[in-house]
Amino acid sequence: MSKNYPVLPWPAVPTPTPDEVYKGESDAAKEYALWLEANLRQSENFKKPEALNNIRVLDCTSMMIIGHWCSSLFSELGAEVIMVEPVGGDPLRKLSPFGRKEYMFTDEKTGEAVGPRFLAEARSKQSVTLDLTKPEGREMLKKLAMHADVIIENAPPGQWDEWGIGYRQLSQLNPRLIYCWVGQLGQWGPLKDKPGNLDPTAQAACGFVHGTGAPVAFGGTPTRSGWWMCDQVGGTGAAIGIITALYYRERVSGRGQFVEATGAAGVIRILDYNWGWYGVDGSIRPRYGNWDLAINIYAVNPCKDGQIMVGGGHDRLWFRIWRTVGKDRPELEQRIVEDQGLKVVTDRLPHYKQVETYTTLCDWMKDNTRLQGESKLQAEEVASGGVSFFDEVCEFPHYKYRGHVEVIDDVLYGKVLIGSSAFIGQKTPGRVKWIGRPTAYDNEDVYRRLLGFTKADMDGLKKRGVI
Amino acid sequence: MAAMSFEEYCRDVFDPKKIFSKPEPLKGARFLSCTQYILGPSCANYLAELGAEVIKVELPRRGEPMRHTTPFNEPKLYPCSKWLPDVGTGLGFFGANHNEYFLSVDFHKPEGQEVMRMLGAKSDGVAENYRAGTFDRWGIGYRQLSQINPRIIYQWLGGFGGWGPGRKRASYDILGQAQGGCFSVTGWPLNKGGMPSKQTIWIMDYWGGMMGAFQIIACMYWRDHISGQGNFLEYSQVQGAQRHLSDCIAMYGRHGLVPQRFGNWDTLLSVHGIIGCGKSSYPDSKNPQELEVGYILVSAYTDADFAKLMKLIKKDNLATKYASHGERVKAESQYEIYPAIEEWAKDKTKEQVRDILTKEGINNQPVFNSKEVSTHEHFHLRGELEWLDDPSFGELQSQGPAFHLSESPPRHKWAFKPVGADNEYILGKLCGFSKTKIAKLEADGVI
Repeated sequence: MSKNYPVLPWPAVPTPTPDEVYKGESDAAKEYALWLEANLRQSENFKKPEALNNIRVLDCTSMMIIGHWCSSLFSELGAEVIMVEPVGGDPLRKLSPFGRKEYMFTDEKTGEAVGPRFLAEARSKQSVTLDLTKPEGREMLKKLAMHADVIIENAPPGQWDEWGIGYRQLSQLNPRLIYCWVGQLGQWGPLKDKPGNLDPTAQAACGFVHGTGAPVAFGGTPTRSGWWMCDQVGGTGAAIGIITALYYRERVSGRGQFVEATGAAGVIRILDYNWGWYGVDGSIRPRYGNWDLAINIYAVNPCKDGQIMVGGGHDRLWFRIWRTVGKDRPELEQRIVEDQGLKVVTDRLPHYKQVETYTTLCDWMKDNTRLQGESKLQAEEVASGGVSFFDEVCEFPHYKYRGHVEVIDDVLYGKVLIGSSAFIGQKTPGRVKWIGRPTAYDNEDVYRRLLGFTKADMDGLKKRGVI
Repeated sequence: MAAMSFEEYCRDVFDPKKIFSKPEPLKGARFLSCTQYILGPSCANYLAELGAEVIKVELPRRGEPMRHTTPFNEPKLYPCSKWLPDVGTGLGFFGANHNEYFLSVDFHKPEGQEVMRMLGAKSDGVAENYRAGTFDRWGIGYRQLSQINPRIIYQWLGGFGGWGPGRKRASYDILGQAQGGCFSVTGWPLNKGGMPSKQTIWIMDYWGGMMGAFQIIACMYWRDHISGQGNFLEYSQVQGAQRHLSDCIAMYGRHGLVPQRFGNWDTLLSVHGIIGCGKSSYPDSKNPQELEVGYILVSAYTDADFAKLMKLIKKDNLATKYASHGERVKAESQYEIYPAIEEWAKDKTKEQVRDILTKEGINNQPVFNSKEVSTHEHFHLRGELEWLDDPSFGELQSQGPAFHLSESPPRHKWAFKPVGADNEYILGKLCGFSKTKIAKLEADGVI
């Protein structure tokens, strides 16, 4: 058997069938859900058109996820995405957790090992190489730009402009081009990006890290996100900017424009009330661990076998939560519902009230596993769920049934389990066609198809180290 | 033209002061936002930033629950609505409702449903996050509105989605984070006293809304330039977590590996992590947030930078021992390297560490709190933070849009308005209702 097949059988537990899922429900009760299934099931995706299949994107970014994430959203909706990588490939390809080679993915054709983070965002993209430090490479990029709707790059600020291939120059050549620069803090301004700025730079600079994790009093420190979160949020912002520019080009102007998106700007945009709060009374948002400053109950707390999330900010759910607790521990329910200081939703928010609430809740949860707690609370229609690890996530029946997690049986990389496209839709759903390509795999196709290069041209370029 | 430096050029084309002299890219598009909390509202909000006319439809009087959400129940903006002058709107509502028109409609009442059908007939799309099937039952879902208006783009956003074994489950942001997998890879490991941790922002909501907005605009592109057809979209917030962490899923699928949390360090690069400095930058402050010791990101993962860093902290033995990246990125190596850097930084503030590292050419970034971000000229200069002269609430500091466009930029006009503030304007303009009719609907509790 090929070494490229997964070690684990997946799914380990069979995915539920529609009959099992809708068993015992009346026709009326399940009618809408079945209409949704008929219109949205991902198994039907390839019978449907793609929203963006007349768009070509050149993803010229490397070493960060922000640009690759952005171009993934385009490739999922049907755009042709070509990754333009430095000769030898994007350095991100070579990174795997703790440097462990055994976690990498190898394709059958070239034997090149690729780390999981790169591969996860190489979906349905082609790969070419091009050395932009060489004048000949830049001339080729100018020719490629004539064929592109979108270019995304993340070189140090001003680098491409200095090379004569920045927005100012390329927009002269191709006025319809949408040119997007992505980075951590920006290509202009006092804190503009320095070479070497990568994802946690934006996390640290935008206030996210200071606000994440437990307070000092609870033994906590400022904490970063476990993944390159700013890249993914900033890359989504970049994608909205680009799709908007495309829409505006077709509808109004006929011209492209300059787009800039950063990890910091993306996360500042979504750092809810940090800025309003500081503006109103000078407050610095504190860390609050797995609790919430603005909603009670809305938290993750320890239980018998891990942690469990319970949420119920308004009265309807608040009393259901305590009713659930009261079935096992009537005295705990009584303590809370009889407390005059907890009668009104907004009165429950001060810190000492949250301590009281969660101490009481944990007294019940300590005797319940995640599954027991979740089942009891869901019987009362309360939002709740255990903190899940990736073995559990991948086997979660709901996710398997809906195809959130899917196997791509790739011609080069074998079977790879991935998080599928989150763009579910009736007419133009997102989809993943192949998992990725080895470095320079598509040089022949792209340079012949777009630039008319012959085999001899390409041999020469290869010899000179341009591709 | 005299050659402008690249920096000057960028400052000019992205200058936030010039935004209002530029056109809006989604001008003329109209969306209804029948949404609550953050996921749905933020999705519609991103469209409003781009110039779409977004009509936020809330239940009369108290509006949606997010209005009653604010840190420690302290900061509020008054009034919540003209009916409730003594109730404020909490800042939880702040980040997800800019530029919108505020209409109050009770969807439960037949007259309210009729108003929704009249509005749906004239709209490009709807963002909606009631329990799946509820609007369909009320006769104002996609199946009914698309009969009236086949070009409508209807985006349902919610927790688990309207079909499948978990379809009846309620969800919130942190449930998506918890059960979707985000918690399991964030926070310190157990041997460092940590536990799985949430991202403090409601990221699966706010970012999920961005995904929804991207898909909506892509569908507008497909509708207006290719097919002429509307669309029905479903965004599941818990699915967002699996999409976000696809690399963890790939590792589980191939190797049975269950990725774990690794605190403030990085699993792919070393040194590339956040360290504690021993001293506070504001020892005389009365604010406990400022009395905390400082933290700083130190990035020296190349061989040359790592050698420089080890020389600087006088750990030449580590420089030799971990000369190759393959050696120093191992988990056990990181457990040795970071404490050594922290030992060196224990008598310094984050600014002192920053200055020393910068002088040596080592990449770094101090961890800023929300005051330091708010007062740093970088973010206000670029328009990522801004002071809004809000017509309802006066001077407010707000976040700016998430990205910059040179020709047709997104922008913020106002933060939000009280519940139903635009009832007369919207119902007069789109439904042709008279003053008398509007007064009657209000008296009947329909609006």
